[in-house]
Amino acid sequence: MSNTAAKFGSIYFGIFGAIVLIFGIAGFVVMGAYGAEGVSWGPLQMSGLFMVWWSIILVAAGAIYLSSVGNFGNVRQLAKSLAASIMIWIVAGMAIWAMIAGSIPGGEEGPWFNPPADFIATYAPPYVPAIFLLPFSLAIIYPIRSRRRITATDREQQNYAGDHA
Amino acid sequence: MELSTDQRWDLVERISKQTVEVGKYKATLKDALADLTVRPAIGIPFAIAVIYGFWTFFCEFAGTLFTDGFFVKIFDGYWLPWLQNVFAGAPTWVFNVFVGDPLATNCFEAFGVLSSGLFLAIGVVLPAIVAFYLIFAILEDVGYMPRLAVLVDGLLHKIGLHGYAVVPTMLSLGCNVPGVTACRPLDTRKQRFLAIALLSVFVPCGAQIGIMQGMIPGLIGWVFLALVIGYFAVGWVLNKIVPGESPEILMDVPPYQAPTARNVWTKLWTRVWRFLKVAVPFVLLGCLIVNVLYMTGAMDAIASALSPVITGVFGLPEETASAMVAGFLRKDLAVGTIGMLAAGGMTITLFQVFTAVVLLSIYFPCLATFALMIKELNWKQTLGALATLIVVVFVFGAILHLIGSSGIGSSAWVPLE
Repeated sequence: MSNTAAKFGSIYFGIFGAIVLIFGIAGFVVMGAYGAEGVSWGPLQMSGLFMVWWSIILVAAGAIYLSSVGNFGNVRQLAKSLAASIMIWIVAGMAIWAMIAGSIPGGEEGPWFNPPADFIATYAPPYVPAIFLLPFSLAIIYPIRSRRRITATDREQQNYAGDHA
Repeated sequence: MELSTDQRWDLVERISKQTVEVGKYKATLKDALADLTVRPAIGIPFAIAVIYGFWTFFCEFAGTLFTDGFFVKIFDGYWLPWLQNVFAGAPTWVFNVFVGDPLATNCFEAFGVLSSGLFLAIGVVLPAIVAFYLIFAILEDVGYMPRLAVLVDGLLHKIGLHGYAVVPTMLSLGCNVPGVTACRPLDTRKQRFLAIALLSVFVPCGAQIGIMQGMIPGLIGWVFLALVIGYFAVGWVLNKIVPGESPEILMDVPPYQAPTARNVWTKLWTRVWRFLKVAVPFVLLGCLIVNVLYMTGAMDAIASALSPVITGVFGLPEETASAMVAGFLRKDLAVGTIGMLAAGGMTITLFQVFTAVVLLSIYFPCLATFALMIKELNWKQTLGALATLIVVVFVFGAILHLIGSSGIGSSAWVPLE
């Protein structure tokens, strides 16, 4: 991975990890204060039976991001950030899947399929924190691509040196 | 030409020098991720995330999308009225057995073989099984399941099992039948006995989970907690008292790879087809036998005979005896029976429902699993598993009754539609 990508990863995932950690802790605070009913704050929603579980996952993901920032150019550290990102993708992916599953059927008394307006309304906010974190976690692609590019260049140089030895 | 041993080794060395290239290995990102996911510090939270994803997908796919979204509508709106119409002229006993309660407006309450039986098997259980085995096949194909086995190896060794036992245990969350079969690679008779006894007692099948998810979504986490505690506590005791060895097993841990659609489809279809062939007839048969027991009055006799245990030891309403009997045939059917009884006017508290569901999970493997246990173990070991089970049920039931006596969860339970 290039030095720029390593430096970017170190700073970016340091800040992002702290934010993920804060969201996870907030989940526990809301759970303790309001129970599973939770709260909605603008486009952000913290509620549901599974809140305790996604809070645990976000706290762990935040901690893993923070543990990866030292020597970010090392493949092991990059893998830690990737593992944390996958954890966020799972939580966010399942929140999106829940919306998709809920948007298709028309309800007990309604038609077989949701009419277009209700279908679209299912995707309106508020959203759980993982959905807001999802696009920012995709930044992991940059250091991964940088590493892949450099590994490919190294291999080409080795092959060239081998051919001309 | 005959070579001596030394000459053979010399030849091997010469060939390997010419063919094997030795260099410094540089770990790839995939290697590093594979290594991290078997180390507890990152592997355990990662496993929690994977299981969270597994569970959420399961609930939304089976519950929200298929069962609530379409199957309830098909069975209640079309299938039940059609059955009631077709069987209208049939003798009363035929109607009661196959269609159930003539006044029922939904398949959950009708309790006929072709109404409730088919609704449970196809409308509730099948989507749950498909969702479960789809994700399981993907995790196997990606290469995550062997890593989960490595991750829990230390923990499972405390109860005399190898980490591989996590595979049959997870499989059993779909259906206990393939779970019992998957215990074959375990090395010793002791390990096979421990794994089969524990999973048949403490691991609820997908069918049962599907029903629990529909009936008691708020309590399901507590039910699982009670079962996990029981799994490890009883496993620890069995490991101490059952003679035999629990050796290590070498297991191949493949690299992570993208799942292939063909592999996933083949595994999914094989397992779902097996479920349709083995389990669905048992659901229907179970419904039929329970209905016949009710009609002949045998269920009342059994309930009276069991009532001292049901009410005295377990603290459950006397009427739940019928559900317990139904549990001998299919556990999912038994959990559903409790819902039907409550919908029919039985008074039962939240904690009693929790107790009943936990006891139903552990008190007897379903008939299909029991038949396979006899085949995989032997009579002596199967009787040993049953003896374990009887002790566990009484101890668990008495402990739960004691906890319930403190007044916890004393509000009346109203079943969800």
